[in-house]
Amino acid sequence: MKKHITLLGLIVGIFFFYSCEDQLELLPPQSVDQTIALSSDANIKRVLIGAYAKLRTVELYGGWIQLYGEMLGSNNEIRWEGTYNQPREVYNKAIFTNNSFITDTWISAYNAINIANNILSVIDVVDEEDRDRVRGEALFIRGALYFELVKFYGLPYSAGSTTENLGVPLVLTPTTTISEEDFVVRNTVAEVYQQILADLTLAESLLPPTNGVFAKNHVASAMLSRVYLQMERFGDARDAANRAIISATEAGKSLVTSGFMNAFNNDADTSEDLFSIQVNTQDGTNDMHLFYSTPDEGARGGDITILQNHIALYEAEDQRLTQFSIRAEDLRTDKWRQQFKNVKVVRLAEMYLTRAEANFREGTSTGATPLEDINRIRARVDLPAKTTLSLQEILLERKLELAHEGHIIHDVKRTRGTIRDNINAEIIYSHDDPRMVFPIPQREMDVNENLIQNPGYAG
Amino acid sequence: MSKYLLILFGLLFFCAWAANAQNRQITGTVVSGEDDFPLPGVNIRIDGTVRGTITDIDGSFTIQAAPTETLLFSYIGFMSQEALVGDRTTFDITLQVDARSLGEVIVVGYGSITKGDLTGNVASLKGGDIQNVPVPTFQEALQGRMAGVFVESSSGKVGEGVKIRVRGATSISGGNEPLYVIDGIPMTSDGTIGYSNPLSDINFADIESFEVLKDASAAAIYGARASNGVVLITTKSGTAGKTKFNVGIQRGVSSPTRKNEFLNAGQYVELMRESGYNVDLSAGIDPINNPADYEESQLEFVENRLTRHAGHSNWREGETDTDWQDQAFNPGAGVLNVNFSASGGDEKTRFYFSSALDQQDGIMIRNKFQRISGRLNLDHKVSDNFTIGANFSLSRTTTTKLADDNQFNNPIQLVALAPITPIRDLDGNLYDRPTTTYYNNLIDSENAEWLTTNFRNITSIFGEYKFNNDLRFRSDFAVDVLNQNDDRYFGSRTNSGLAVSGFGSSRWLRTFNYNTNNYFTYTKNFALRHNFEAVAGMAFQRSDTDYTRVDGQEFPLDDLRKLQAAANIVLGESTLNNFSFLSYFSRINYKLDDKYLMTLSGRYDASSRFGPNKRYGFFPAASVGWLVSEEEFLKGNNTLSLLKVRGSYGSTGNAEIGNYAHYGLYGSASYNLQPGLQPTQIANPNLTWERTNQLNLGIEFGLFDDKITGEIDVYDKITNDLLLEVPIPSTSGFITQFQNIGRMQNTGFELVLNSTNYVSQDFSWRTSLNFARNVNRVRALGPNQTSIPPSNSRFLNGVFIGESIGAFYGQKYAGVDPANGDALYYLDETLTETTNDFDEAQRMIVGDPNPAFIAGINNIITYKNIDASFLFQGVFGNDIYQGGGGFYSANGDWFDNSTADQFNRWRNPGDITNIPQARLNSCNGCNASSRYISDGSYVRLKTLSIGYNLPNSWLEKMKLSSARIYFMGQNLLTFTNYTGWDPEVNADYLADNVFQGNDFYSAPQAKTFSLGINAGF
Repeated sequence: MKKHITLLGLIVGIFFFYSCEDQLELLPPQSVDQTIALSSDANIKRVLIGAYAKLRTVELYGGWIQLYGEMLGSNNEIRWEGTYNQPREVYNKAIFTNNSFITDTWISAYNAINIANNILSVIDVVDEEDRDRVRGEALFIRGALYFELVKFYGLPYSAGSTTENLGVPLVLTPTTTISEEDFVVRNTVAEVYQQILADLTLAESLLPPTNGVFAKNHVASAMLSRVYLQMERFGDARDAANRAIISATEAGKSLVTSGFMNAFNNDADTSEDLFSIQVNTQDGTNDMHLFYSTPDEGARGGDITILQNHIALYEAEDQRLTQFSIRAEDLRTDKWRQQFKNVKVVRLAEMYLTRAEANFREGTSTGATPLEDINRIRARVDLPAKTTLSLQEILLERKLELAHEGHIIHDVKRTRGTIRDNINAEIIYSHDDPRMVFPIPQREMDVNENLIQNPGYAG
Repeated sequence: MSKYLLILFGLLFFCAWAANAQNRQITGTVVSGEDDFPLPGVNIRIDGTVRGTITDIDGSFTIQAAPTETLLFSYIGFMSQEALVGDRTTFDITLQVDARSLGEVIVVGYGSITKGDLTGNVASLKGGDIQNVPVPTFQEALQGRMAGVFVESSSGKVGEGVKIRVRGATSISGGNEPLYVIDGIPMTSDGTIGYSNPLSDINFADIESFEVLKDASAAAIYGARASNGVVLITTKSGTAGKTKFNVGIQRGVSSPTRKNEFLNAGQYVELMRESGYNVDLSAGIDPINNPADYEESQLEFVENRLTRHAGHSNWREGETDTDWQDQAFNPGAGVLNVNFSASGGDEKTRFYFSSALDQQDGIMIRNKFQRISGRLNLDHKVSDNFTIGANFSLSRTTTTKLADDNQFNNPIQLVALAPITPIRDLDGNLYDRPTTTYYNNLIDSENAEWLTTNFRNITSIFGEYKFNNDLRFRSDFAVDVLNQNDDRYFGSRTNSGLAVSGFGSSRWLRTFNYNTNNYFTYTKNFALRHNFEAVAGMAFQRSDTDYTRVDGQEFPLDDLRKLQAAANIVLGESTLNNFSFLSYFSRINYKLDDKYLMTLSGRYDASSRFGPNKRYGFFPAASVGWLVSEEEFLKGNNTLSLLKVRGSYGSTGNAEIGNYAHYGLYGSASYNLQPGLQPTQIANPNLTWERTNQLNLGIEFGLFDDKITGEIDVYDKITNDLLLEVPIPSTSGFITQFQNIGRMQNTGFELVLNSTNYVSQDFSWRTSLNFARNVNRVRALGPNQTSIPPSNSRFLNGVFIGESIGAFYGQKYAGVDPANGDALYYLDETLTETTNDFDEAQRMIVGDPNPAFIAGINNIITYKNIDASFLFQGVFGNDIYQGGGGFYSANGDWFDNSTADQFNRWRNPGDITNIPQARLNSCNGCNASSRYISDGSYVRLKTLSIGYNLPNSWLEKMKLSSARIYFMGQNLLTFTNYTGWDPEVNADYLADNVFQGNDFYSAPQAKTFSLGINAGF
C-alpha cells in the first residue's frame, strides 16, 4: 500500500515538474489582442460599434454634453439644486480645474477619437462595399467630438482671434505606443474648426441616407450646419441644414405631429430624430434623465427645477408648455422624465430653425422661406402662424423649441448674447466670458506640460 | 522504487551498525517543553566520546550506544538533559526552555527553525494569544501585537476589508497586502464580490501560530510574491495521549467607539436661513427688512425647502428634532461565539477536530456576520519512515451587507438628513424624498435585503517520506475552494427599486485555487561542529475565478425576491480570471559551533501574469548571525544573558498587478444591443515583477537572566521597477500605462521588548512592547514625472517624489477672512499671502495618511487563579481627510445637516473663526482642501481581558480538566484628537494604495464587552 502511495506521489511530482510550463500561458478570457481586433472586416465593424459605445457614455452624448449646455446657459431660468458639485460649478460659472465631470468628458472624447483613428488607420481592410460607410461613421464621430470639445474647452469662434485663441489638441492618428509625440499642444480654434469641417464634409459625402440608428449623411449635414452657425457662415449653414432636411425627408423623416411630447421619452427613434443615443435597460444610460427627473422615475432627488422666468417666455397656448409639471414638489420639464429612453442629439426641428435663421440672415429662401419654416414649427405646437418675422423671434422660437436639450449656451455664444447669473441679477456673463469656458482638466495639465491653461484658470 | 531506496539505505546503515556490534540502536524524539513542537537540530552526544548526532526535522534521532553510556541532549535556548542508556532503546525527551526567546519554534517557509537559529526577521504570535478576541477576522486580532505589522480595518462594518502593511507599502499600482499562506497553500485573499473579505472565512480559534516573514532572508523563499511580507498560518494539530475536549461560549454587546455631533433642529433652521439670507444680501436684496424682496429670494427658497423637509410638522415651532445618526446604529449589536474542539491520538495517529459558530451583529443597522466552521486535521504514521496527513476545513460565512460608504443607502449617510424631518409620516410610513433631503435609507431596512454567503473549503493532503535520518521528501497538494453568492433585492420603495418596481441582483463567484509543494529536506551534522540543513523543491499554483451576474427589475411583488420573478432582466454576464505560478526554491541553513549562523535562500519564479519576454525571475537572499552570548567571554554572564547579532540582504518580488496586464487588449462593449470592441489596454510585453531589495540588521538581547529580552531591527527596503500605472496624456486615448518604472523606499526601525517584571508563586506580571517606525518615500516615477496628482476632485491623495505614498496634496486652508467671512487659502508654499479664489491658490503637500510610527504594549498579570491582560495599541503621526466634510462641515452650503462645529461660523465682521460665513449653494470653503484634514493619531485600549480559572478542587468535582470564566473587551477606550467618527478608517470604496486615510461617512469601529467561559475535559 504505502509503496504505491509513494510511487503515486513521485509520479505526480514528476508530472508537475514537466507539465506546468504550459500553464504559464494564460490568455485573457474577456479581451482579445489588439492585432486581432483590427485584423478583419468583421472585427473592424465591431470596433466601430465600440466607438458608438463610447459616444453614448454619459460623459459624452449620454447626457453630460447636453447638461453642460444647460448649466452654462441657465440664465436664471432653471436652477440646479442637486448635491453634485460638478454640474453646480458649471451652473455657477465657477469651475474648478479638477472638476471630475469636465475631466471625464475630455478623457472619453479622446478615447472615442482614438477608436475612430484606429478604424481610419485600417480602413483598407474593410470590405469595399462598406468601406465608405465605415469611414464616414468614424469621421463623423471624430468630427462631432472635436466640435463638442472646441465649443466647451476653447473660447467661442465668435470671440474672434481664432488663429490665436487656443482650441484643443488635434490627434488624428491611432495611439499604439506612448512617445514624445503624445505630449501634444493645443491647436488654435481656427485649426480645430478646419479639421471638423474636413471630417464632417467628407463624412457627409461618404455616408448613406439610411443606416439604422447610426450616423447617416443627413446627420453629418446637420452637424455641419451647427459648425457653420458657430462660424457665422450662414450661407453654408443654410445649405447644410437644407441638405439635411432633404436627405432626411427622403429617408422618411418628418416632424412628430401627434403631439409635441410624443417626440420625447422614446424607446426608438421617432420620425423626427436624426440622431439619438439609444438607451435601453441593458445598455446605454441617460444622464439627462438622472439629473432632470425625479426619484419616482429612478432619477436623483430632482436636481434641476424650472423657474418662472423661463415659463414666462412661452405664449399661453404653446403646446410646449405641457412639458412642465410639478414633480417632487417643484416644476420640472418632462422632456427627460422617463428612464431608459433615448437621448436626443439632433432633431429635425432644429434643421428647420437653422434654415430659417440662415435664410433670414442671408435674405434667401433656400428650401423654404424663413416664415414657412418657423410656422411649421409653430403649427406643430398649436401656435398661430406668424406673418412677419424678426431675427429675435426666430431665435426665441429656436430657444423654446430646443429648450433643455443642451443647445442654449452655444446659441448664446454664437449670437453674442449674454447669460444672467442666477443669484445676483447684476452679474451678466458675456458670450466670450472666460468663466463660460471650461478649464483644461487639471489632470491633463499635470501630465502634459505642453498644454496651456485657459484664461481665468490658474496653472 | 521506495523499496530499492530502502534497501540501499539499509545497506549503508548495516555497514555502520556492523562496526559497533556491541552497541544497540537507540531511537527517539526530542520535543520542546513549551509547546510540544519537535525540535530539529538538537545535539546528542555520548558522554565522554566524540560520537553524536542531531535530531532531524521532526525531532527524531537514531544513535548507536552501549547500555553503560550516557546521552547528552543539548540545544540552544533549552536546558541540557542527560539520560543513561541502560536497557532502553527509545527515548522521548522533552527539553525545557532555558532562554525563552531562543527556544521558541518558528515556522518558516517549507520548514521550521528555533528562534535561536533564526537569522531573518520573523514576527510570531501564538493563536492562544488572541483566543476569544471578539472580532470576525484574525487580521483584526493581530492589530498592535506584532512589530512592523500595521493593521487597519476600513470601518466598523463587519466582514469587510482589513488593510495590512508589513514594513510599509512597496508598490504604487501593484498590491501591497502580504501573501497569506495557510498550511502551505497560498490562500485566496482577494478578488471576491464587493468589499467582502475572504480571510473572514477562517476560524482563528483553529490557528496554532501566525508568523509574519518580514525581511528578505525570511521571505525570499516565497520569491515573486514576498515583497509585502508573508503571513504563514499554521493550524492546530493533535498530540498523542488522552483525548482533550474544549468547549467555550462567549457573548457580548457592541456599540460604536465614537459618534459625531450634529446640529439639532433649532440650530439647523438657524444655519440654513442665515445661509440663504447671506446670499440675498450679497446680491443686494434684503428679504427680512424689505418684505418686497422676499419673493424669489434665497431666503424664500430656504424656507420653502424647510417646510418641505419638515413634513407634517412645523419647523418654525420646532416640532421635530430627529437624531438621524442614532438611527444608523444597531441597538442590538453584539457578539456570540460557541466553539468545540477535540484533540488527541496515539503514537501513530493524531487528530484535531473543531467546530465553531461566530456571530457578530454589527453596530450598523442591517449588518450581521455569521460563520459556522469545522475542521479536521489528521496525521498518521504509516511506518517509521512514512507519514501522511490531511487538513480539512469547511466554513460557511453569511453576511448581511451594507452598501459602500459612497452610497445613499450606507446607513451613516442618514446623518445628512435634516433634523427637522420626522422619521415617519402620520400614517406611520417612512418619509422619503422630497420630504427628506436625500433617500431615507431606513427604507432599506424594511424593503431590501442583501446577503452574501461564502462556502469555503481549504483542504490539503501531504505525504512525507523519510529516506533516512538526514533526508526526507515531502509532497503536499492543497485546494482552496471559495464559493460565494451575493443576493440583493431592493424593493419597490427603495432608492434602487423605486422607479423599476424592485431591483434584484444575483452574483456568483467560484475561485478554485490549487497548489502543490514538493521538496526535499536534508539535515546533517558534521564533526559535531557543522550543522547543515537544506531544503529544495518546487511549487505550482493555479487559480481560476468564475463569476456570473444577473440583474433584473420589474418584480410583481416585493415578496417575490428571486430573479425568476423579474419581468425584465437587465444585465447578465460571466467572466473568468486566472493566473498561475511555477516556482523552484531552496534554502540552506548552516550553523557552526552553535554560534555562527548562515542562511542562503532563493526562489526562481515564473507567472502567467508577466510578458513572455520577462516571465522568469530569481529572488535570492543571504543572512548571517552570531550568537555572541555563546562565546566564552559572555557565556554564563547573567547581566547580558543573551546577545545575538544578525544581518540579511536579499530580494523579493511583487506580482500583484492583476492578470493579463502585459497584453495590448480590446474588450467588449455594446451599443444598441449590438456587440462591439473597444481598446482597453496598451501592450507592454516587457512587463515584469517589482523587485524589492531589503537590508536588515538586527540585535537580539537578554538582560538579567533573560528577565528582559528584546529585539532591535533596522531595515532599508528599496523597491525598483515599480509596477506603475503611469498617467499619460489622455489625448492619446488612454489614461495610464502599466510600466516597470520608478522606485520606492521604506526605511524603518523596530523594537520588541519583553519583560518579566515580577514572578512569584502567586503573582506574575509580564510586559511586552512593540514599536515600529517606517518611513515611506517615493523615490522615482516615470521619465520627467515628478508626481501623480490626486485623481479624484473630492479627495487629496497623490504620489509625489520625496513624499510618502498617498500624501495629501491640495490647497492649504488659511481660515476665514475676519472682514467678510470668506474662506481663505494660502496663495503658495511661502504661506505669506492668502486668496479667496480656490483655483488661484497653489496646491501643496498638506498632510500624510501614513503613520510615523505604530506601537503596542501588552501587560499580562496573573494572581493565583486570576489572569488579566490589557493591550494598548497606537498609531501616531497620520492625518485623516474627511471627504464628507464638504457636505456636513460646509457652513450651510446645502441642506445636509451639519456637524455641531459649524455653529461657530463667521457671522459678523471681526469674528475670528475657522468656519466661513454660511452661503447657500456658493461653496464658501466647501472644496477639498486641508480644511478637512485632521490628526488621526490615536491610542486605544484594544483588548482587555480578565479571567478566573476555577480551582482544581472544583474542577475535580465537576470532572473537568480546566475551566475559565472571563471578561473580554475590545476597543474599550480610544484617545484621539480626530474630529470625525473613528480614527481607524479607510473609506471602503476608495481604499487602495494611494487612497488611504479617508473618511467618507465610514462606520466607526465597534466597542465590545463580552463574557465567556471555556471548559476543558
